Amino acid sequence: MTVFHFFNCAILTFGPHAVYYSATPLSEYDTLGTSIKAAVVYLATALVKLICLATFLKVSESDSFDPYQEILKALIGFIDVAGLYFALTQLTHRNISQNHKFQAVGLGWAFADSVLHRLAPLWVGARGLEFTWDYILQGLEANANLVLSISLAALGSLMWLRKNKPKTLIPIIYLSAVIVATMPSITSYLRRGLGWHFPKVVGFELFTSLVMAFISWQLFAACQRPSV
Amino acid sequence: MVMAPRKHREREMLFDSVIALVFILVACVDLCDGATVVDVYRLIQYDMSGVPFGSRLASLNHHAASLHFSPHTDLSRTVLLIPLRELNMSFVKEYIAESKPLGGLIFLLPRMFSFENKDGMGSNNQDESKEPLRNVLAELEQILIHANLPYPVYFAFEDDNIDAVLADIKKNDVTGQPATATTGGYKFVVSAAEPRKVVSPPITNIQGWLAGLKTDDDAHQLPTIAIVASYDTFGAAPALSVGSDSNGSGIVALLEVARLFSLLYSNPKTRGQYNLLFGLTSGGPYNYNGTRKWLWSFDQRMRESIDYAICLDSIGSWENELWIHVSKPPENAFIKKIVEDFSSVAEELGFKVNLKHKKINISNPRVAWEHEQFSRLRVTAATLSELSTAPELLEKTGGLVDSRHFVNEATIVRSVKLIAESLARHIYGHQGKNIQIFADNTNLAVNPSYVRSWLDVLSQTPRVAPFLAKDDPFVMALKKELEDHTDEVNLHRDVLEGVFTFYDSTRAKLNIYQVASVTFDLLLLLVLGSYLIVLFSFLVITTRGLDDLISLFRRPPSRKVKTA
Repeated sequence: MTVFHFFNCAILTFGPHAVYYSATPLSEYDTLGTSIKAAVVYLATALVKLICLATFLKVSESDSFDPYQEILKALIGFIDVAGLYFALTQLTHRNISQNHKFQAVGLGWAFADSVLHRLAPLWVGARGLEFTWDYILQGLEANANLVLSISLAALGSLMWLRKNKPKTLIPIIYLSAVIVATMPSITSYLRRGLGWHFPKVVGFELFTSLVMAFISWQLFAACQRPSV
Repeated sequence: MVMAPRKHREREMLFDSVIALVFILVACVDLCDGATVVDVYRLIQYDMSGVPFGSRLASLNHHAASLHFSPHTDLSRTVLLIPLRELNMSFVKEYIAESKPLGGLIFLLPRMFSFENKDGMGSNNQDESKEPLRNVLAELEQILIHANLPYPVYFAFEDDNIDAVLADIKKNDVTGQPATATTGGYKFVVSAAEPRKVVSPPITNIQGWLAGLKTDDDAHQLPTIAIVASYDTFGAAPALSVGSDSNGSGIVALLEVARLFSLLYSNPKTRGQYNLLFGLTSGGPYNYNGTRKWLWSFDQRMRESIDYAICLDSIGSWENELWIHVSKPPENAFIKKIVEDFSSVAEELGFKVNLKHKKINISNPRVAWEHEQFSRLRVTAATLSELSTAPELLEKTGGLVDSRHFVNEATIVRSVKLIAESLARHIYGHQGKNIQIFADNTNLAVNPSYVRSWLDVLSQTPRVAPFLAKDDPFVMALKKELEDHTDEVNLHRDVLEGVFTFYDSTRAKLNIYQVASVTFDLLLLLVLGSYLIVLFSFLVITTRGLDDLISLFRRPPSRKVKTA
């Protein structure tokens, strides 16, 4: 029964990634290699991030929200953006369109994040006898994260790969990118600074991820129009 | 052509790393992290002449229900969580008498029976609210001890966690949904090994010797007075059988009397012409088996030198009457003298000591009082006790109910005064004279803080003989205490013999898990499946168009051909 529950939570956490890959044209153009490369870049980035966190951050005894530490953490969080930049621009991809490239990178990115952050707690926790909603919520969070990662990759590809984009949209693109990139810090603030509970935080994440996805989609479409 | 093997290798590497990751994760999994972990104490498991009694199982893994379960439900795979406060005696009797199948039983005891709980300790036992609970628990204990229960039975103490769990379970039960595998609820898990027989349970008797003063060096041996108390207990939960009154009070009184006389005997001027023998005996609940072994280990001359023996049994919660139990007829000169000593002192202290005579039936293996073991060897002996009638086997042996709350140290102080003063009159020959040797506010006064501290220690030490190790710290502490007060201390070790066989595993940890039902998981799977299908359809429609989606279902082979 508990293995059943683990199975359910695993479907919720990792299923959407697979569905996204198979449902979109990504699977037709065989972009798995790109996704795997992005995942490897993510792992390297995570390692660098860990080293930075361990070097610059004090271990806080209390679970309180320390603004200075959080700003530092947010700055370190921008290493993610650097990693994503590397994945989008430096990696040599086979001839896939920009359209698919950012999706593949975002997908690999999100999948690696889910595996790294959620698989272990899921394995340890959801198989136990004790039932909590936490792992279901965690699965929902993984979904939100997938949407956010793809949004961020889309914005990144707009910023770094697309040359002829409308001038008026540039500040909006950058603003959205900053917002999406600081999402981890924002949720951390909500959770610890304001003391929100996990369900509420997850709800917020789902909502904002949908909003950001819509915005970046619109931006992407707006940039697409003159060029096509 | 070049790409294919590279990709293949890439995939292989990925698989390898995934497998490695899984192995690492499996290695560091610890599955036993329940929401709540509670200390539980198992009902005793023992055989008497080969007949099984008590709880015969230790491990538990069942759903929980409360007493509000709906009738006609099958409880054979359900643990009943029963608070003592709501215990329905007829229910227990019905279930035990008809030996109906149960998954297990957990009794929740009020905190006042816990020896870790110290507030209100030593308060007077007049408290009305405690008295009914105490009676219920005493009745329950006797029922459980004498029943053969083929399922695990545990005791636990009320606390906030388990109270919350209980409230939840009750709520579930009231809605008419007993917790089973399909409806969720709470799961109680005790992982314990199969109980094993305690092989040759040791008994350790402790004896202290305080030598009297010989006036002239003739070979004539000085007479001896023995003061004896049995120190072990027996109860429904061996890990909770602390026996504050039976016989903690007797041990405390013995130690205090030893302390007082060691003061007197340390000075040659006040050393009496009697030897004093202090005996702390084991095996008390089992017909004073240890006392018997101890007496048989004496040589004949030693036994004959014993003038009389005073056994102390349950002297910690009486009002104004104590009883002297004897097995020789009251007309016997020695008995008369003992009784006279005690009753005259008692009169001065303002209470009564009554004599009760009970003949020994040699053919009956039951030994109700400790002095009967002496009497069987023709040693004059009496038992001082607050009980007016002899208890049955395994009754009043310091079980669950016998907690510190029902024992008053002032009462023990009075008992000690009585014993010490009576002994002193006998030893120094002050009969009939109103001389108080152990008067208050002298350096020979009974020390209430000594009494209290020992009583507190005893009330926190479960001491069921088969579960006391050979060199148990408790036995060593008693030995050391007697060594401080007497000239010579010996340990007499033997093996508990007789009809009893005991099984170990007396305490365990209960893990309480809140579990979801299979129905819930099925439902969740359904919801997730439809979510993924909707997501798939949505993505296909938005990225490739509706026709593509339909064609996906209509002609699946066409795609295969295309990719190949």
